[in-house]
Amino acid sequence: MGSPEPLKKDPVTSTPPATGTETITPRIGVFVCHCGSNIAGVVDCPKVTESASKMPGVVVARDNKYTCSDLGQEEIVKAIVEAKVDRVVIASCSPRMHEPTFRACIQRAGLNPYVLHMVNIREQCSWVHNQEKERATEKAIDLVRMGVSKAARLMPLEAREVPVEPKALVVGGGVAGIQAALDLGNMGFKVYLVESKPSIGGVMAQLDKTFPTGDCAICILAPKMVELARHPNVTLLSYSEVEEVKGYIGNYEVKVRRKARYVHEDKCVGCGVCAEVCPVKVDNEFDMGFGKRKAIYVPFPQAVPLKYTIDRENCLHFKTGKCLLCVKECTNKAIDHKMEDEVLDLKVGTIIVATGFQTYVPMKKGVYKYWEYENVITALELERLLNASGPTGGHLIRPSDQKTPRRVAFIQCVGSRNKKIDRNYCSRVCCMYAIKNAQIIKEHEPDTEITVYYNDIRAFGKGFEELYHRVREEFGVEFFRGRPAKLSENRETKSIMIRAEETLLNKITEREFDLIVLSVGLLPSEGSKRIGKTLGLSLSSDGFFAEAHPKLRPVDTATDGVFLAGCAQSPKDIPDSVAQAKAAASSAAAIMFSGKVKIEPLTVEVDESLCVGCGLCVELCPYGAPELIQNAEGRTRARIVEALCHGCGTCAASCPQNAITAKQFTDEQICSELTAALSQNGHGKNGNKKAEEGV
Amino acid sequence: MGEVEKTFISGLKEELVEEKVIDESQLDPNFAKEIKKYGGKDVMTCLQCGNCTGVCPISLKIDYKTRSIIKYCQFGLRTYTLGTRWVCATCYRCYEHCPADINPAEVMIALRHIAVREGVIPPFIKVAATNLVRYGQSVKPDDEINKIRKELGLEDIHVFDPGYKKVLREIRVLVHASKYDKLIGIEDEVKV
Repeated sequence: MGSPEPLKKDPVTSTPPATGTETITPRIGVFVCHCGSNIAGVVDCPKVTESASKMPGVVVARDNKYTCSDLGQEEIVKAIVEAKVDRVVIASCSPRMHEPTFRACIQRAGLNPYVLHMVNIREQCSWVHNQEKERATEKAIDLVRMGVSKAARLMPLEAREVPVEPKALVVGGGVAGIQAALDLGNMGFKVYLVESKPSIGGVMAQLDKTFPTGDCAICILAPKMVELARHPNVTLLSYSEVEEVKGYIGNYEVKVRRKARYVHEDKCVGCGVCAEVCPVKVDNEFDMGFGKRKAIYVPFPQAVPLKYTIDRENCLHFKTGKCLLCVKECTNKAIDHKMEDEVLDLKVGTIIVATGFQTYVPMKKGVYKYWEYENVITALELERLLNASGPTGGHLIRPSDQKTPRRVAFIQCVGSRNKKIDRNYCSRVCCMYAIKNAQIIKEHEPDTEITVYYNDIRAFGKGFEELYHRVREEFGVEFFRGRPAKLSENRETKSIMIRAEETLLNKITEREFDLIVLSVGLLPSEGSKRIGKTLGLSLSSDGFFAEAHPKLRPVDTATDGVFLAGCAQSPKDIPDSVAQAKAAASSAAAIMFSGKVKIEPLTVEVDESLCVGCGLCVELCPYGAPELIQNAEGRTRARIVEALCHGCGTCAASCPQNAITAKQFTDEQICSELTAALSQNGHGKNGNKKAEEGV
Repeated sequence: MGEVEKTFISGLKEELVEEKVIDESQLDPNFAKEIKKYGGKDVMTCLQCGNCTGVCPISLKIDYKTRSIIKYCQFGLRTYTLGTRWVCATCYRCYEHCPADINPAEVMIALRHIAVREGVIPPFIKVAATNLVRYGQSVKPDDEINKIRKELGLEDIHVFDPGYKKVLREIRVLVHASKYDKLIGIEDEVKV
């Protein structure tokens, strides 16, 4: 990453001036938490408290049933004021959850929030040593001793604030991206929505109807798409890619490549005369290859923006240098074959990633013979065949002979819940879309026999179980518990025989069907990998983007100011995607409304007199925080962009000159912890000596 | 009907005797762990999808369901797995298809280990083991086999090939040293 403005030292801080921290001998307060029985069930907390009270510098030591409760916090505040405490050690849980709680707590007592040290005696002691209570108590005492030793050397730090650009970038124009952009736009923020395809709408635009209510997908989506395109606060950048993202929360600099569509968006009115005269016919990706489109096209009639795009690979002019029929016909002179990619520079405060999903593509030599038998199709192909605006006008046919199939089988869990292909997760929508499609087929052709080969049916959402019940009761759809083992085609009729064990009957069955529909699972979209890399997002084990906390921060990412919405985070249905988009929009808005963000002061510092400008830190930093600059004397030196620094300490540990110091993790502080750890309990004086020599 | 086939069917008879109600006394909660000990994968992860049964060449011919054996193993219904565990041909087709990445064929092998140690040895195993130490091959080349070979235009197969003698001795030493003879109960055949 590059060089955002260095932070000015002045924009200050809501933290009150630290009191009492100038005293030379630290006055340390130790608070030991029982965490109900989580800690006290294993560790003898009163004993830990008693030992702590005898440690050097400790003026007060208390234990408490729930330190994080209001009562517990009040006790800390009271003890700090009464005993004039100026350093605080809290022995409780991991700092991940409650460090902010306790920082605010000691701030209320008039201390600098950074003179707090949390000792983790839950995750790192009581939970892992629940079989050895006495030794766990010993370890807890050791950990507290280390904490006390470090706390004595803590320095007060000041949190800084940076301004936030009140603009947002939404990556991905599916239903989640559209919803997030609309919400932010309605709140009055400027939004850029980047979509890589010629039209927004995502996969939802391809669907026929939606479960469980049976609303027509495009009928409920199209109004939103139009609203978005007309929204005064939203800039729609379709047929574009995010190239590069630099900066930090509140101040992201984004480069967006607008791919050349060879049609000027401002001139094209979407009349379609160009497509009429275009002589090139190719498969339409939007119709999953069942329908045709021209080389100049809009993917579907309701496309937004309704601007034509030339497909460079198939256009006759790009192939032969001739043709140009479309240019002759276009009355607005919108078509320009010489158009080139354009790169836009945007500045935004927050980013919402809604890159969505793609469906699993069955294996070339797989059991389900998707690539060998014509009458094996995927669920998304079925959606297009059932769609009233699809290639068959909503009339279900089978590909081999264009006839209406009489017997249809759905095969569930294709590309999901399969360890063999490293897809262990459930895609969460396949059960319901198969049930919904079974219902639609039955409504079109009531005589169709439908069998669903399932393993488990997951009908957990609102109205899902009712739909599952309805297709059985009203439509007589048969559910067959078993995973098909073998598919074989009748060469003449092109019908397909499925062999499977009906596991509830304990019998192997062989049955023939006219059409097989594979209920394919959901995968992270192709483009999401690149976006993830650009933004430094981490992935969950299933390959989708990881949220910051699975329960309490489900739309946040580890990168501040970047949020997730929709299937980019995990497979989900439309209501969940919309809900998450709204959550992401309001999380992003919260930052932009306040206009400024606090930057953690736990960063690193470079001692310019020691730095030789080798640049090792620049190479190693995962956040792009260090940069090389020329100082006043014209020498190359490293400088840290504080807003980007996460305080991980990688640079400090690797600096060959020891020029970099991580605040709150200085060599002195860490060595004091080590010394304390080795000073007693049979580790003896030797250990102590060695540690000191090490210092 | 050949001798081997006869012994196969007789091994299945136990399976036909089923209890109406299964109570807790029949369940062995540590059965899955025991299978793991003898080299099977964790049967508890089985999804019961039935893919293994569908691809099993044996399941097509006789009343043998790979999936239900795995279910018995999950339950800990020891006695139910007694007969059928021997019919698996270990072709590993079930393993190829298993979405839970269990290896049912190796579960069957583990079940055989357990059975033999419990003293449940079907007669044909003894026959095969005896053949092995006697003739150096587990299927005895008898007249029946030679007749089929003749139809196929192949030569007769001879048991006592002179080169076999040395090999035969080595097999016996191995069988004895690994205490396999004692386990199966063919000590009399192995004289080292």
